[in-house]
Amino acid sequence: MPSYAATVALSSDNDMNFNNTVTLVTGSSRGIGAAIARAFARAGAEVVINHRATGGTSEARARELATEIEALGRQALVVPADIADREAVRTLMAAVRERFGRLDHLVLNAARAPFKPMERLLDRELRDLVETNFVGQVRCLREALPLLEASGGRVVFISSLGSRFYAPEYPLGAMKAAMEAAVRHWAESLRPRGVNANAVCGGIVRTDAFKVLRQVWDGLDRLPDELCVAPEEIADAVLFLCAPESRGVRGQTLVVDRGLGNRLRF
Amino acid sequence: MQQLISQADVVEAVKQAAAETLRIDAATIRPEHSFVQDLGLESLDFLDIDYRLEQTFGVKMARHFFLEHAEDLFGEGSAIDADGRLTPQALELLKSRYNPDRLPDLSAGLDVDQVSGLITVNSMSEAVLGILNTLPEQCACGASAWKNGEGRRIVCGACGAPGVYTNGDELIRQWLTEVQAERNLFSA
Repeated sequence: MPSYAATVALSSDNDMNFNNTVTLVTGSSRGIGAAIARAFARAGAEVVINHRATGGTSEARARELATEIEALGRQALVVPADIADREAVRTLMAAVRERFGRLDHLVLNAARAPFKPMERLLDRELRDLVETNFVGQVRCLREALPLLEASGGRVVFISSLGSRFYAPEYPLGAMKAAMEAAVRHWAESLRPRGVNANAVCGGIVRTDAFKVLRQVWDGLDRLPDELCVAPEEIADAVLFLCAPESRGVRGQTLVVDRGLGNRLRF
Repeated sequence: MQQLISQADVVEAVKQAAAETLRIDAATIRPEHSFVQDLGLESLDFLDIDYRLEQTFGVKMARHFFLEHAEDLFGEGSAIDADGRLTPQALELLKSRYNPDRLPDLSAGLDVDQVSGLITVNSMSEAVLGILNTLPEQCACGASAWKNGEGRRIVCGACGAPGVYTNGDELIRQWLTEVQAERNLFSA
């Protein structure tokens, strides 16, 4: 039985083969998105890395990730685009079409939200919340659809436990729930077009969001390691949902939380 | 006013935190550097730096910028207008909060997106020091025996309890309430 650390280290070292396919992961310069992009590249896919802001650390990290992916012998295309910006999303998909001429997997990972109780969000913040985390996702799907349809593609949305449990000052959870419903919708509405959609609901990952949540969530700091998900574990579930092995799974949300959601206490 | 951790200590810690987040050499960071303009920081990176500083000093940094608190306290539109520009009242707050020598020309107004560019290593150090300076005279055990504990954390010399501070958000709200009481910038 490998140790916890060994289990994490072994992850994303799987036999799934994505040679000659193209994957776009939105919001993939860091955290879970970067782990997903890396996992697809390791499995043979060419990868489109997307980040929002130019000239800052996201761009630098996106380029580092691209170099890492290219060192694996795969192609990497970095495209900055704010998914809340309609024109930027069009430009993003045009760049994918121009460079690769195809898209097999669309991973909707990008998210952005303030941390405060939902009823205290200003109108502007509420609009941004929906614009990025719901409207932006739908736009990505809509603009990518011709390419996905041509390849019989897969869509995977990255959700979080906030879709089904209360987390303090986490209004993003409501958007995640809406998107899980959207994924169910697409799984059926896009069936005639040969496109499938599912979601992965990640548990507590020690990324940036965790650093805020632990401030407002008493005891979160004491969450044992074995209940914290590694980004690579989420990435492996995404790979599964894009692989032929998951062909019978439609419109589902696969919870990858090391069982945290089964418990009333930890 | 605590005397155990100096301003120089705090500046060093902020530089160190930024260097770790940005994966660069701390020696290349200067106190007057703007995190956004000079070091290329993004909003998520601020969370990372805050997290590191909280671990270092045992404090809670502000999670919301003072303009957001102003909107919360005085109403939507009071600090940032519908076009994302700072209101005249918000510009006044800005002048009170930052060294006027380091502020850009405000005569044409300012976009809210430009405000994070004003945060420097120095201004963040002052924010940390402001929180550290809320250390009460006495520990809850009654002793007045604060001392430097492990790393840069202050602990009670009598009972060993960690120093307790006002959190960064609360401190900003106190400041805004005081400014409003003095100057009545935001009419009811």
